[in-house]
Amino acid sequence: MSTTAWMITLQFAGVNALFALAIYASLWTGVLSLAPVFFGAVSAFTFGYAAGTLGLSPFLGLLLGAALGAGLGALTAGLLIRLDSHYLAMATIAMVLIGRVLILNLTEYTGGATGTLVPGDLGTWAWLIGTLVVAAYVMARLAGSRFGLAADAVREDPAVAETLAISPRRIQFVGMIISGALGGVAGILQSSFLQYIGPDTFYTHLGFVTLAAVVLGGAFHWLGPIVGAVVFTILPELLREPMGEYDRVVTGVLLVLIIIYMPRGLVDVRRLRLVRSRWWRPKGGGAEPDGPDPRDPQPTVRAEVAS
Amino acid sequence: MQLLMQQLLNGIALGSIYALFAVGFSLILAKMGILNVAHGTFATWGALSSYWLVFEHGISFWLALVLGVVFAGALGVAADLIAFEPLRKRNAGTFAPIIASIGIWIVLLTLAEAFSGPTATSYPTESVPTEPIRVAGLLLLPAQVISVIALVVIVTAVHLLLTRSRFGAAVRAVSVDPRSATIVGVNARRTLIAVAFLAAAIAGLAGILAALSDNNVSFGIGEALLLKGFAAVVVGGYGDIRGAALLGVAIGVLEVMSAQYISSGFRDAITFGVLLVVLVFRPQGIFGERQLVRA
Repeated sequence: MSTTAWMITLQFAGVNALFALAIYASLWTGVLSLAPVFFGAVSAFTFGYAAGTLGLSPFLGLLLGAALGAGLGALTAGLLIRLDSHYLAMATIAMVLIGRVLILNLTEYTGGATGTLVPGDLGTWAWLIGTLVVAAYVMARLAGSRFGLAADAVREDPAVAETLAISPRRIQFVGMIISGALGGVAGILQSSFLQYIGPDTFYTHLGFVTLAAVVLGGAFHWLGPIVGAVVFTILPELLREPMGEYDRVVTGVLLVLIIIYMPRGLVDVRRLRLVRSRWWRPKGGGAEPDGPDPRDPQPTVRAEVAS
Repeated sequence: MQLLMQQLLNGIALGSIYALFAVGFSLILAKMGILNVAHGTFATWGALSSYWLVFEHGISFWLALVLGVVFAGALGVAADLIAFEPLRKRNAGTFAPIIASIGIWIVLLTLAEAFSGPTATSYPTESVPTEPIRVAGLLLLPAQVISVIALVVIVTAVHLLLTRSRFGAAVRAVSVDPRSATIVGVNARRTLIAVAFLAAAIAGLAGILAALSDNNVSFGIGEALLLKGFAAVVVGGYGDIRGAALLGVAIGVLEVMSAQYISSGFRDAITFGVLLVVLVFRPQGIFGERQLVRA
């Protein structure tokens, strides 16, 4: 690949990392949701409309995306959070699908099937890296916070979390709001990079690629989605030459292999610690919080109590 | 009135295909606990393989239909053995199978796209029944008649199989708790593989009928079915294939009617809108019962 192609690929990796962080934020609390793609679409088209006609400044655009996404996240959470895992996942997929129909039909605002042009104010490295750093910083701070610990507990076992005076619904509600804010911002950056958004820009494909990124990178540490998104965006580009149209097959195969043999993903803090303690003397105490082992019987199954 | 009746018939025929697909989808979801998003690609591959047999090898359509259905079923078994069984063995919970099924979906869809090419084709007209039937001024296409008959036969057969046979008892036992079922002498693995075959084969049949009805064989067949099938399963109620079948038909009618009388553009939005509304206000579906699961 040429240098420019690399640059563009890396930029998309950055945006995908934001989307992956958005999916991670809700997965952290035990909610599998593809809704960030929908949030991204809403804020991207809103931004496209606002920036195109009102000349909105880039920074205000990002704030708008975060606010809009957070609001939609809260709304979605309020309506859907009590569904059990399968239905919630599919309901959020349905949101993505409805989004496409709306984009196709609200021609006045979205340009319909032809899509719409978006000013590329945010399509620079500075904005992308700045946003990513802020997002990663927030996630890293959250990881050790009361919210982070509670989220770990809720993911591990909502019933146990409840006995610890944690309200799973409230934690998941907060998770969805963070997820929405990140998704909204990611949508605006995506539209700014592409400078053109259409009905297929924010569709199931994006959701699955980012979900795959989260799984590959590791869904138990905030670094996982970022690493996963970078790998998962670059890999198909590298494979395009030798594999041609079959490059995506590798993505799919990889996804299956990872979930079977490496369920905690590439960034696996616990495994690292295990390896480290095997080589060096363990530095007693000070264990940082970590997610549950997916090899344990999953909490979500047990949590599907009559609601 | 004539138009209304005709559209009602069209809706029922279209809905029969959705319903058929939903029955297979519901089998996997309710009996194996897997939200298999790759289910649509089984339908696609059923249609593609039968098309290939008819077009390239001149096999009669009916034989190709049977072989296509079997091929789709075999794909379902392969997916189960490769991806879902290792996860079951590890007791990996609910998320891992969804993600694995996304991987299978990507693989099968990419291969289907490469196999069929970007342009859609259709079964050679001389090899499939196309002569329309006129009844009391209404036009019935053979594909529509076949779809409705297939739905009635399959739903009845599967329902009887699940409720009246030893195999059905085994399936129900395994779906509640594979380990306890094994203790009382059920071969859980074989039962699950049989369910995987049955579900994928039904999807394959739905795919072939969809291709026949639309006169269009392409890699996108399964994607459309997947979403409608899922909506039917959710709205119909978890675990009851009769509910899924009824709602599949209802969705077909709703779609045709809303395209005729409201707007063809919002056709899909109406289906998914109904899906979301039902999820919000009646998460267990219209015919679903509250499920009591041991905490």
